[in-house]
Amino acid sequence: MSSGGFKSNVDFVVRIGGEAGEGVVSCGELFAQAAARTEYHVFSYPTYPAEIKGGFSMIQIRIRDWTVYSMGSRVDHLIVFNQQAYDKTIEDLKQGGTLIYDPDAVKVVDGLDATKVAIPLDKITTRVTGSKLGKNVVALGVLGYVFDIGSAVLDKLIRDRYGAKGSAVVEKNLNALAAGYEAAKSTGIARDVHLGTKSDEKTRYMMLSGNEAVALGAIAAGCRFVAGYPITPATPIFETLTKLMPMVGGRAIQMEDEIASISAIIGASFCGEKVLSPTSGPGLQLMGEQLNLASMLEVPIVIVNVQRGGPSTGLPTKTEQSDLKLSIYGTAGESPRAILAPSGVEDSFYQTIRAFNIAERFQMPVILLTDQSIGYRRATVRIPALERIKFVEQSVSSEKIVIPDPEHVEIASRIEATEEDLKNYKRYRVTDDGVSPIARPGTPGGQFTATGLEHTEEGRADYTPGTHMRMTQKRFKKLDVLSRALEKNPPEYHGSPESKIGVIGWGSTEGAIRDARYLAEAKGIKFRHLHPRVLSPLPENQIRHFLVGLKQVIIVEENYTGQFAHFIKGKFGIRPVEIHKYQGVPITPEEILRGIEKVARIVDEENITRL
Amino acid sequence: MKRTLQDYKSVVAPIWCPGCGDYGVVNALEKALLDLDIPPENIVAVSGIGCSGRLSHYLNAYSLHGTHGRAVPTAVGAKTVSPELTVFAVGGDGDGLGIGGGHIAHAARKNADITYLLIDNRVYGLTKGQASPTTPLGESTKTSPFGVYEDTLDAIPMFLAYDVSFIARTTSIRVKELTDIIKAAVTHKGMSIVYILSPCRTFPILDLEETKSLFQPLPEDHPRDNKLKAMEMAYAKDPMYMGIFYQVQKPTLNERLDLEIEKATRKHDGGKFYSMEELFRRFS
Repeated sequence: MSSGGFKSNVDFVVRIGGEAGEGVVSCGELFAQAAARTEYHVFSYPTYPAEIKGGFSMIQIRIRDWTVYSMGSRVDHLIVFNQQAYDKTIEDLKQGGTLIYDPDAVKVVDGLDATKVAIPLDKITTRVTGSKLGKNVVALGVLGYVFDIGSAVLDKLIRDRYGAKGSAVVEKNLNALAAGYEAAKSTGIARDVHLGTKSDEKTRYMMLSGNEAVALGAIAAGCRFVAGYPITPATPIFETLTKLMPMVGGRAIQMEDEIASISAIIGASFCGEKVLSPTSGPGLQLMGEQLNLASMLEVPIVIVNVQRGGPSTGLPTKTEQSDLKLSIYGTAGESPRAILAPSGVEDSFYQTIRAFNIAERFQMPVILLTDQSIGYRRATVRIPALERIKFVEQSVSSEKIVIPDPEHVEIASRIEATEEDLKNYKRYRVTDDGVSPIARPGTPGGQFTATGLEHTEEGRADYTPGTHMRMTQKRFKKLDVLSRALEKNPPEYHGSPESKIGVIGWGSTEGAIRDARYLAEAKGIKFRHLHPRVLSPLPENQIRHFLVGLKQVIIVEENYTGQFAHFIKGKFGIRPVEIHKYQGVPITPEEILRGIEKVARIVDEENITRL
Repeated sequence: MKRTLQDYKSVVAPIWCPGCGDYGVVNALEKALLDLDIPPENIVAVSGIGCSGRLSHYLNAYSLHGTHGRAVPTAVGAKTVSPELTVFAVGGDGDGLGIGGGHIAHAARKNADITYLLIDNRVYGLTKGQASPTTPLGESTKTSPFGVYEDTLDAIPMFLAYDVSFIARTTSIRVKELTDIIKAAVTHKGMSIVYILSPCRTFPILDLEETKSLFQPLPEDHPRDNKLKAMEMAYAKDPMYMGIFYQVQKPTLNERLDLEIEKATRKHDGGKFYSMEELFRRFS
């Protein structure tokens, strides 16, 4: 994404911490939304240090003059509501950073290298609102002054957020906002960042969570039927779709469990609709048998798995990349499906569209693997150019459909049976690419049985050896064709072609690895970075090409066992260095950099030895 | 051209045991569809696993023979997106009351306009004779060698408690009555369950003679909209009543969802759907 026209050299991190229920996250979200309405790019993520349990919550917001790839790690401005928040987060404050705190609740140690700004948030809140409620808005006022956000932006934010609750509530919150703003002003704090107001160049942006991006992507792809069951952290996708689907004439229904959800979308897809069900790992496990059925019936479905920490109930609100093997292999028998992993919020929108294109054109289940850290992060995302969204004709070969990106979006649908096909209709006709035209119920002459039993081309149950062999080949041929199509895509890697170190990641770690690459380059270490969006089937030739000339490969993932590394090692016979993080929180650029620096030293020593 | 019964038969011949009650069900179903003049292409038949699950193969329709116990939610999804089609779910006592029993309550709450043919032979026949939720207490089967020690699931009162909007019970050996009941169930707007006692000749837990003696029609003046009366008739064991126990009108799932769309769009440009651009703007 271009940085043209934006101010340069603005990149800072704000963190707000306090007791859960004090409005820490809502204050952060309001501030992030306000910042998103200025000319800057924003990335926010509610996060928790791994070792802390209990009622402490915080949110981190990074603001930059162009696309933000990761949440950052050192904090420039820390706002703490209570002593616990101070104790647990003060070590992350940059030297010379700014600490804003409530002097009635927080005791600051002597000698702290920071600009200290004491603002009695509790007292102000009680004075203005008559209760403790509204501290989040007082704090927003403080931030509004400190970052010089235009009052028009702030006022509109309050009206948007509280307008539905009536004018009295709006008035009270506007007073709280003003009180916070004035309190910050009276401290005489220096303002070195001026977020200003909205610029014309940034009117075509949204502030989206990854989960919302998936929901919008589904609607853009033409999905009009969703069945789901609430499960953290995928619930916001389902909530968003229950709200938006009826607005576009679609239907999103809540089922009694995940088995019923996937059953309902199979039934709806059988009747010709584009369908989706959002879930998380435990839900995907329940869906296993029906996922197989969709493969066997060759019914297109899209399942979104917003991964969370496991196993079992695990860490429902935390992030992990530990369902890869479940997604690729997890079912009885051998059933083809494709696995896609978006790299961030914006990519979630486009990969969701791509998931539908693949599911529809190849008549198989597609699992979109995101995770809590993508689902719950919010980022500024360019509104796609709708005039560039094209609907692909049935005659266009699946291999020619472009990968959706901000410049081009193509939307494909399943190949429907023509009159010619219906003359002697075989629903599971063996074809060159394994894809057989589908007759939609209601079409005269297309009646057939879709059965989970092994079946002939006509759809009749048949367990003879030849039939099972031929139909297994037919179903898997679709994966071969998809894999070949992937090879034709532009390579998904970045960085210096001469570098001797290669880093492979997948999913939500893209931004952290990218920022680690910038940090490494600043230190004179070069590496190239591969981040495949389709994890199964893999574009194997592209990966071989990436591996050529590398002395060491590093695979980064957020799990204990190295699931993707296992997959890569098995396919390509390499011995990578593996960086695993399994603390329920996203890996940071600095953590990746530390691993890379170690590898770089070894690679250097090897070079010296060889000289 | 006038359709005949042949138009509702697929090219696949049934492989049920000779004398199986399921033949009666498929015959009655074909006759009902012919009488109702429903074109085969407008029929979606979703079936589960078990002898009765094979029924969808024998029907000339858009058939989906899925997994064990999931016919009902699959049919709900099919009907939701195709209100113009006639959608059936078909399965046995193991499929519908054992593994898939949890789904009925929720399809009933939605009042999805599907017809569920639940064919009860009181045994797992396809797997060759194990106890099912409706196998009588004390009965010896391959998985109850010393007699069934669990109580029998009494399905009709359960469906009444779920407020399924059409509940009938009959048997597969009375094809005429079964045909009429299937026609009433298909015509009913909302979820209908036709509970069909169907004797198994190979594992005769419910044998033919017993099935014959069971049949006692509900009184002509049975008030179908009276749930308490229906409950009383459903619990009666001697005689055991057959017929339509309960029928009430409620909005169907499709009507409920159409209302959602109306609520979501009524304030927007004369009820038009929102454009993608308008959705994007809501997030900016």
